[in-house]
Amino acid sequence: MKIAYYPGCLAQESAKELDMATRFVCRTLGIELVEFPNFSCCGSGFIDEANEALNIAINARNLAIAEKAGLDVLTICSTCQGMLQLARVRMQDPAMRSRVDAALKPIGIEYKGTAHVKHLLQVLTEDIGLDAVKAKVRRPLQGLKVGAFYGCHLLRPADEMESESGEEPHSFEDLLSVIGATPVDYRGRVMCCGFPIQFVKPSTASNVAGRQILDAKRHGADAMATPCPLCHLSLDAYQNKAAKEVHEHLDMPVFHLPQVVALAFGASPEELGLSRHLVRTDAALAKVRAAPPA
Amino acid sequence: MSAETIPVEFAVYRFQPGKDTAPRFQTYKLDLTPHTPVLTGLLRIRDEVDPSLGLRYSCRSAICGSCAMRINEKSRLACETQVGAEVARHGRIVIEPMRNQAVIRDLVVDQTPFWREYHKIEPHLKLDPRRPMPEGKATPMTPAQVERFKETPRCIACAACYSACPAAEADPSFPGPMALAKLYRFAVDPRDTARTERLLKIQPGGLWLCMRCHLCTEACPKDVRPSERICDLKEMAIAVQGATEMGSRHAVGFKENLKDRGQLNEMKLVRATSGFAGMLGQLGQGIRIYRKKPEIMKKPRKIEGMDELEKIYAALDTPKKEGP
Repeated sequence: MKIAYYPGCLAQESAKELDMATRFVCRTLGIELVEFPNFSCCGSGFIDEANEALNIAINARNLAIAEKAGLDVLTICSTCQGMLQLARVRMQDPAMRSRVDAALKPIGIEYKGTAHVKHLLQVLTEDIGLDAVKAKVRRPLQGLKVGAFYGCHLLRPADEMESESGEEPHSFEDLLSVIGATPVDYRGRVMCCGFPIQFVKPSTASNVAGRQILDAKRHGADAMATPCPLCHLSLDAYQNKAAKEVHEHLDMPVFHLPQVVALAFGASPEELGLSRHLVRTDAALAKVRAAPPA
Repeated sequence: MSAETIPVEFAVYRFQPGKDTAPRFQTYKLDLTPHTPVLTGLLRIRDEVDPSLGLRYSCRSAICGSCAMRINEKSRLACETQVGAEVARHGRIVIEPMRNQAVIRDLVVDQTPFWREYHKIEPHLKLDPRRPMPEGKATPMTPAQVERFKETPRCIACAACYSACPAAEADPSFPGPMALAKLYRFAVDPRDTARTERLLKIQPGGLWLCMRCHLCTEACPKDVRPSERICDLKEMAIAVQGATEMGSRHAVGFKENLKDRGQLNEMKLVRATSGFAGMLGQLGQGIRIYRKKPEIMKKPRKIEGMDELEKIYAALDTPKKEGP
C-alpha cells in the first residue's frame, strides 16, 4: 500500500528512533511512504486551546496536501492522529467550514475531506492485517510481558476518532500477541501520560505518569510500548521524575510501537535507536533472548 | 415471552472505614436477564442476600445522577449499565466506589470535594442589579445564544467525570470537569454579567491542569463533553487576559512557535513557557535528555509552503483581546 507519511515534529528530531523503526516496519511490510516536505506541525492540542479555528485550518491544510495526491495519511503519534482527525470532524460543522475555507481558498488550498487519517496501529491491524504482520515475524518476543499504552488522542473522544472502542480497545494487545509478546492487562493502558502539563505543573504531570508506569509494573509488565512519542517522553524521558512522585523504583523500559514490531521482524537495537532511550532496554531484550524458541 | 437468564457474578467492594481493617471484595451470584441494569442486580443483592450493602441511588432512570460508581473500572451510572454487556466483555462485574472521593461505606463516597469545587465557581446567574430580570416574564434568547450552551445544561452532577479524571486524581487543586463545564455554562450565558470576572478567576484556579485526555467526556452519561468545553474556556480566558499563566503561555507559545518554521522548535517553546528562570530549574533534566537526544537543542527544518501558513495565521489569528 501507498500512504502519505506524516511523521510529526518529534519523530523528525528528538524521537528520531521512532522514525527509524517506522521505516523498518513499513519497508518489511511493503508499505510505501510518500513524503511531503510541506506538512506542518499539527499543533499538538495546544493551538486548539489558544485558537480553535487556526488549529483546524492548519490541519485542514495538511489534509488537503494528502488529498491532492489522492492518498490517506499515516500518523505515528496519537496526538497527531487526534488533531488531524479532529480537523476532519470539525470541518463538518458548516460555520467552522466556511471560516476555514475563507482562509484557505484565497491561497489556493481546497479541503474536500476525502483523505482518511490512520495511525500506524490501525494500518497494521486493519489494513495490513495481523496475519500478514505475523508472517514477517522472525524473532517472536517470547517471554516479554508488555503493557500497551494507547495515548488519549488515539482513543478519545471515541465518537470523533473513527477508531475502535475508546473504552475497551484491544488492537494494540492483539498486535503484541501476534509478534509473540504477552500483553499485560492494566487500567493505566487507556489513561493519560500527563505530558500536556509537563511544563504547566511538572509535579502533577509526573505524578500522572508515575501512576500508569507503576500500574503496569504491578501487573507484571517487563516493558511498556506506546504509539505516541509524547507519551514516550513522559514515560521514558521523564520517568526519573515520575518515580520520585510515586515514591517507587520504576526502571520500566518504554518502547515506541514500531520498535517492538521491528524487533520481532529481526531488527537490531542499533537499527531502532534503542540507545537513545533514557531508561535502558537491555533487561527487556535479554528476556526475549533468554526465552525458549516458540 | 421472558428473556433467558444468564449467571452473573458480582464482585462488590466492601469497606467500612473505622470498622474494617482493609477493603475486600465480596462475591454474589445471581441469575439475571442480560438487559437487567447493574443497579437492579445490586438492589436484589441488598434486598435478598445482604442488607448491609451500602449504595446511593434514587430515580433508577438516569435522571438523578445518584448511582454513579465504577463498573469494571469505568465510572458510570449503575441504572443504565446492563449486566449482559459487562459479563460478555469481562466475564464478571467488578463494582467499586467512584475514585477521587473518600469511601464512607462500601459504594457510598464523600462528595465534599466535588461539591466544594462546584460551589467555588458560583454556579448561579450574576445579574446586573441595575437591570433586574423582568418579574414574571421570560428573558428571550436567540437560537444562536442557546446554541452556545452546547450540551452543558444536560449535566446531572453524577460525578462520573470527577471519578474518571486523572488530573483530579493527581492534584486536588484541579476543579474537576463538572465544575469547569458549569463555569462554561455561566460564562456563555448572555444574562450573566460576571463573565470576565469568572474567566480571570479560573485561570490561576486550576483551568490549565486539564490534560485534554477526554476521559471525562467518555465517562459522562449525558454527553456534556466537559473536556471540549474546558478547551473553549481556555481560549476564552486567553482572549480576556492574554497569556499570563504557565498553561496559557504554553498554548500561546506553541501557536507562535509554528510561525517560524512550521515545525515545533522544542527549546524555544520551553523558553516561552517557563522563562529563563524556569529553564534554569529544568537544566538538570534538560541535560539528561540532551545527552540521549541532542536534537532538542536543534532548530527544526523549515517546511515548504511557509507562505501558506503565514497567510492562514494572518487570516485567522488576528488579536481579539477583550480586555478586562
